[in-house]
Amino acid sequence: MAETLVLGGLPEAEALMLADTCLLWAHRLSEWCGHGPAIEEDIALTNTALDAIGQARTLYQAVAATRGGESTEDRLAYFREPDEFRNLQIAAAESGDYAQTVLRSLYLSAWFTGVWESLAQHDSPELRSFAIESAKCARMSFRHAADWVIRFGDGTDESRKRIESAVQALEPLVGELFLTSVTPGDAAQHQSALMERIRSCFSEATLSPFVLPTTDGSARGSTGRERAELLADMQSLARAHPEARW
Amino acid sequence: MNASTSESRPAATAAPTAVGTDPFLERIANDEKIEPQDDMPESYRKHLVRQISQHAHSEIVGMLPEGGWITRAPSLKRKEVLLAKVQDEGGHGLYLYAAAETLGVNRADLIDALHSGRAKYSSIFNYATDTWADIGMIGWLVDGAAIMNQVPLCRCSYGPYARAMIRICKEESFHQRQGFDIVHNLMRGTPEQKQMAQDSFDRWWWPTLMMFGPHDSDSVHTQASEWGIKRLSNDELRQRFVDVTVPQASFLGLTIPDPALRWNAERGHYDFGALDWDEFWRVVKGDGPCNEARLSARVKAFNDGAWVREAAVTHARKRSARAANQSDVRGATSSQSRAAA
Amino acid sequence: MSDAAPPASSGDWPLFEVFVRSKQGLDHKHVGSLHASDPAHAIALARDVYTRRQEGVSIWVVPAHAITASAVEQKADNFDPMASKIYRHPTFYDIPEEIGHM
Repeated sequence: MAETLVLGGLPEAEALMLADTCLLWAHRLSEWCGHGPAIEEDIALTNTALDAIGQARTLYQAVAATRGGESTEDRLAYFREPDEFRNLQIAAAESGDYAQTVLRSLYLSAWFTGVWESLAQHDSPELRSFAIESAKCARMSFRHAADWVIRFGDGTDESRKRIESAVQALEPLVGELFLTSVTPGDAAQHQSALMERIRSCFSEATLSPFVLPTTDGSARGSTGRERAELLADMQSLARAHPEARW
Repeated sequence: MNASTSESRPAATAAPTAVGTDPFLERIANDEKIEPQDDMPESYRKHLVRQISQHAHSEIVGMLPEGGWITRAPSLKRKEVLLAKVQDEGGHGLYLYAAAETLGVNRADLIDALHSGRAKYSSIFNYATDTWADIGMIGWLVDGAAIMNQVPLCRCSYGPYARAMIRICKEESFHQRQGFDIVHNLMRGTPEQKQMAQDSFDRWWWPTLMMFGPHDSDSVHTQASEWGIKRLSNDELRQRFVDVTVPQASFLGLTIPDPALRWNAERGHYDFGALDWDEFWRVVKGDGPCNEARLSARVKAFNDGAWVREAAVTHARKRSARAANQSDVRGATSSQSRAAA
Repeated sequence: MSDAAPPASSGDWPLFEVFVRSKQGLDHKHVGSLHASDPAHAIALARDVYTRRQEGVSIWVVPAHAITASAVEQKADNFDPMASKIYRHPTFYDIPEEIGHM
């Protein structure tokens, strides 16, 4: 059976993977809102979250449109069970401190930059224009994250220690980004471009060179729990009133 | 949002000087704007620093009651809108801190005053946001009241404050509308949703009316009106708010929790019941439901972020030192080459 | 511009004044200020703080301390003498009606 395509060319499973990753990452970023290290930073982080929610919505709406029937963006976001989510594990992981937050943003926005830029070449004009806009957002978010990783690596003793711990903490989760690409797309090229983006940032940050972890990306035992807790919070109100419109 | 300055009991000020004898008051009476470096009475400057910084603090603390609902917003559209709205509050706080800093104060000191409890913020943010309907009420009622307070401030005598307020007012109108839209949807929804909205309305109605501050008759006299900072009195603003909000509430099908509320044809205004000022002062003085939680969340964010801010400064210094070094080297090379030529 | 004192502690970011060009063809206009660790950081933050609604196509940031302002006590001496030079304004000259617009 041919796979269902959304936005004129994206396999549904990939659309959900991208949408779920955007939404859960945005959720983690939005937990910082009002609690960031500087008010200016609160606003910057929120911008990345807003971009990601916007992308998630476009993709969910496209999936819902092809599925038809009762399917809506909100049914997809609020009424699927945790094990039905297709997100990259790193997106749903707890944020940790600001070093870990910006490092996760570095990894994810480096990954999304590659994904959107590759989809920006697609034959489907609908998918292409969505990807071109999304790539702009991903590059901005990457700049923001990379600037911070560089400040931390080449900042104070404490900030360096913290970014080094963040590299350790996310190591079990980052490998999955290298194993996940979208169609059409050259997986080897995706990997090397991703590697290059991360390496050049690490080098400017005077950190030890980034090495690809040998794990398969699901080696952090707590990721399932972290996602379930995230979704329990996110879905709580919508599920308490399943018939309601908001 | 607006920290109505009238919330803190104003300090006694010198007796007002009659317009005509004081060149500063004359400028204000002529609707001249005062700009940062102009001569201004110290009491005017101090009043502005206090009012603008309280207002800025209110924006920043005001991110918290709504911020807690971003992760739980019941639809993706609501989540997106709420996130953008709370982000705006942060922006408004920054515009206002920037305006305060033109008066020769440092933002770090203003924030320190907030964290140490020396500075106030709008008491309305010390109320809890227990349900989703509270997010609607904050937008519709609290932001609505804030706009009522803020629109006259767009014409205030101090240029940087007036300009910040113009920018803020432009952005706030989406805030009020999104709040109304939340409540409107609840009132068209399930019986539970309607109940949620009415319960929330019952809790927010009176505190919102108190946002305008004490009755004019109980306000300690300040020069704020002669200075062109306060253009309308507390009671005038409150009456305006009641007059525009009552028809909106009845359109929505909400019952106003005030048996004394009725249209007074003679006055051309709604009459309404007495406000509970004991509660008002309790909350102002720190005994509100969430005073401690709000302040400690801000202090924690600031303290937890100290290493981040410091890393950025240290990195910037290293970078500019390296750049200076490099240009020294280049400078030396080029003078050598000149010498060689 | 601001006379704010230099940062009080090591973690305080310096103040930058922000100017935004709202569209091609218009001047950069002062819109406010913000704190950032360096000029590039200030540009990045200004984008989020001052152009959330597409208010700009270009941003300048200037360290607040780098701005020199004309002295306020000089305002009258500086600018009042221009008031008498009415011959600089086109309305000073009567052009015969037959000539039309000039």
